[in-house]
Amino acid sequence: MAARPATPASPKNHKVRAPQPGQPMYGCEHLQRLFNQDQATTNTSIQHYKAILRSIFDTTPLIPQTAKAIDGQIVTSLTPTYLCLQCPSTLTEDDRTKHGSKKSHRFYVDSRSGALYCQMCDDIVWDPTFEELRLKKIGTGTFSTRKRKHEELFETSDPVRDNPTYISSNTTAASCKSSGLRGIYNAGATCYQNVVLQSFLHNPILRNFYLSDGHASSSCTVQYCLSCAMDDMFQDFYALENTNGYTAANILSGFWFSGKRAFDVLATTNEQDAHEFFQFLAEELHERNGDGKKPESGSEHSCHCIIHQTFYGKLQTTTTCQNCSGVTNQVQSFLDLSLPLENLGHKKGKKGGASRGALTLQECLDEEYIKSDKCEYRCHNCSSMQQARRQTTIKRLPNVLSIQLKRFEYKQGRHERAAKIDTPVRFPLELNMLPYTNRGRGSGGSSQDANKENYELARSCTYDLLSAVVHVGEIDSGHYVSYCRVGDQWFAFNDHKVELAQKSDVLNSKAYLLFYVVRSLS
Amino acid sequence: MSSEPSETGKAGIIVAPDDAPPMDKLTHAVLDDLLYNIVHDLLVKVHRDEKIARANTAAIKVEKLAKSTSDGATTDPKPDVEIETDAAIYKDGKVTLKGNPLKSTKEILCPRCHLPRLVHPTDGKGAKKPDPGVIYCKKHPYIQKPGYDIYGQTWVAPGPGRGKKKKDQKLDPNDPSSPAPGAEGSAKDRPANVLSYPSATCPKCKRCILVTRLNNHMGSCIGNNGRNASRAAAQKISNGSNAGSQNNDNTPPGSQKGTPRPGSRAGSPRKRDVDEFDEDVEESDQANPKKKKKTKANALTKKVILKAKSPATNIKKEKAKASSNLNVEQKMDDDAKDSTVEVAPKKQTPKPKGVSPAKKIKLGPAKAQLPSPAGKKGKRDRDMESESSETLSSPPPR
Repeated sequence: MAARPATPASPKNHKVRAPQPGQPMYGCEHLQRLFNQDQATTNTSIQHYKAILRSIFDTTPLIPQTAKAIDGQIVTSLTPTYLCLQCPSTLTEDDRTKHGSKKSHRFYVDSRSGALYCQMCDDIVWDPTFEELRLKKIGTGTFSTRKRKHEELFETSDPVRDNPTYISSNTTAASCKSSGLRGIYNAGATCYQNVVLQSFLHNPILRNFYLSDGHASSSCTVQYCLSCAMDDMFQDFYALENTNGYTAANILSGFWFSGKRAFDVLATTNEQDAHEFFQFLAEELHERNGDGKKPESGSEHSCHCIIHQTFYGKLQTTTTCQNCSGVTNQVQSFLDLSLPLENLGHKKGKKGGASRGALTLQECLDEEYIKSDKCEYRCHNCSSMQQARRQTTIKRLPNVLSIQLKRFEYKQGRHERAAKIDTPVRFPLELNMLPYTNRGRGSGGSSQDANKENYELARSCTYDLLSAVVHVGEIDSGHYVSYCRVGDQWFAFNDHKVELAQKSDVLNSKAYLLFYVVRSLS
Repeated sequence: MSSEPSETGKAGIIVAPDDAPPMDKLTHAVLDDLLYNIVHDLLVKVHRDEKIARANTAAIKVEKLAKSTSDGATTDPKPDVEIETDAAIYKDGKVTLKGNPLKSTKEILCPRCHLPRLVHPTDGKGAKKPDPGVIYCKKHPYIQKPGYDIYGQTWVAPGPGRGKKKKDQKLDPNDPSSPAPGAEGSAKDRPANVLSYPSATCPKCKRCILVTRLNNHMGSCIGNNGRNASRAAAQKISNGSNAGSQNNDNTPPGSQKGTPRPGSRAGSPRKRDVDEFDEDVEESDQANPKKKKKTKANALTKKVILKAKSPATNIKKEKAKASSNLNVEQKMDDDAKDSTVEVAPKKQTPKPKGVSPAKKIKLGPAKAQLPSPAGKKGKRDRDMESESSETLSSPPPR
């Protein structure tokens, strides 16, 4: 096994995870025996486990999926193989028992998940020490403790769980019933607000920000502050036992009181556009929490407020002059990616004939961030107007990627009217944004190092779907609903009503806004 | 795949017929393997959650036991005792497992409140009656039942008498928020799980408003539009120049013509400078109530025009400007309305992309009002307006 380095005598002793209340020390009795043998065994076991995890998650799957059978035959399989924790062999499920009885090696790592199998239990065991390593590897790609755990952000209903004794002595724990799952009442054509609020409420970054008192509402002096209203709402969702719908009166009044002229048109009693409300809310919260500067679209403005940390990324537009091949780069920050559907739908329709329709999100992204287009521009070198190629890529990805599918467009013609594009767009639960970044464009190395780098790069560009906002019905009489993920479970939010949703419900919906959260929050 | 004659993949579900060509067999085997992997991954996930929960339960139980066997009074989190249960051993403040928790531990305790978790939902799909003698953790499995939410709650259908229009009620059969027919407890003798809509206090006027009307209320209370505003405007117009008088909607339409007409500026969309006058105008409205009337019609047509003319980035500002100009607009000229009407049809220029669904709403009324020549038609406009705002103020279909 080339992927597994020989283990040199490490000066550092690996420790078994300290006992936690309400949790057993070891995954099973047999692991307990392994860890209690001596320090050397513990060290090699943990080092081996780390090396195995690296070969599973950092290299091509070909290596862990290739097993050498007892008779010497080499088999690569699609189904999981088992990597021995005590020696560098990889075995198929059938050979695992033989290997065990021959060498009395009892622990194996599943090549798909990195989970540990104990032959004596004849079951997968979840050992706190090993499991912590595995989650860190999946979450952040490293074993270092400084980075946030994947688990912490996704699986928990209580976001603060650092030191249990300190917290329990200083706080009243939220009830087990409060899960953050509540509907929001429709205050009269406000479903466009509700869907955006729900997606904010289930955004782990915003949630942790507000629940850890990120916006000190007690010392905030702004009257009708929207951020204070958000703070209240997060408290009500995650601390109260109430399962009834939430009345977003403060948000609504903050919205009405807001002095943002650009969004004046939103403040009506009519149904409005959820995307515009999202922009409004983001800008307003940025102003309440950020450096106070107006976020200008088109500039490279960036601040360290929670909204910028969460939603803002950077786009780079590269213009190449066709005459002198001079290149100009322009960088601007973005709150969301807006993807037009109309043209693409037509193009596809022509090509595919009967199969008109069904686009994929990746196709829309390809169109915007991989293909280049021609434009006229004034070249500095040639000092004249020249034909140029313009290409936009993503320079920096945000932690939460918001994507708008432009489903609403004005139709030209005799009866000009706004129309809704009902073209279904297939979107994945897991989205790889690497091809659309400027780093993804450049990389093409084939050496081992580059390979590993690519895996890490790809990991840092992997997004998981967090919520989807859907507009149903006609353009003027329609309704907004949304789907949000809590842990692995999807929920459908329809104003005050919360229901369980299947993944297929989510994926078959004609989404209007999509929120993806980066998998490895670092 | 291996060269061994493995006829199928690992799951053994998708099997090619015996006489299939080798390529077919291979594809079948690959598909079968992929199926195996999906099931494998799902199982590993579920297994993980379940086994960790059971192992923790075993630990919680033995820790509790250890605490109670040592002095009840001690607050030491790690009492110095040795306790052994069927599933775990407590020794030196450490918990170790005995056997497989999936076999040894049957229930799951909540790691936070240490009460048993309810495993089956209490209602709907997969429901089982919970043991009435047990106090369960408050986190229950979510309920899946048509017409009810995840907590088994449903809502009193907003019925007639709550401002519902006939057309709204027609939607109800498809409306999941109305209780399923035959479900226990229609609005009358409400069981505990049937909720009604709450009220909230308006932060400005401190009045208690039913939530479904909150947006409309705030629109009129804070935002100065909505039903009351248009009513007030209508009243002001119909009352002639009598500031503050309340009733008498029967003013003949001819009296609306009395407003002075400063000029033809209304045709020009550039009136940024008048923005500051907003407040003043609002107040002077009291004195000059007639002006208010045309507000909407004009503003709407105006908006449309502006949108068409302005490049994408400016849209919002322009729109904002337009709406803030409302009052000024008709003060400028009642007659100018006619000129806007002339311009209006040209608005059929391509729109910038990504516009909201709602904006169309605004187009509707605007068009309706376009052809109105002043005078009688003007009054009809007004009626239409108050009527339409009435519809809006009723609770929405859903």
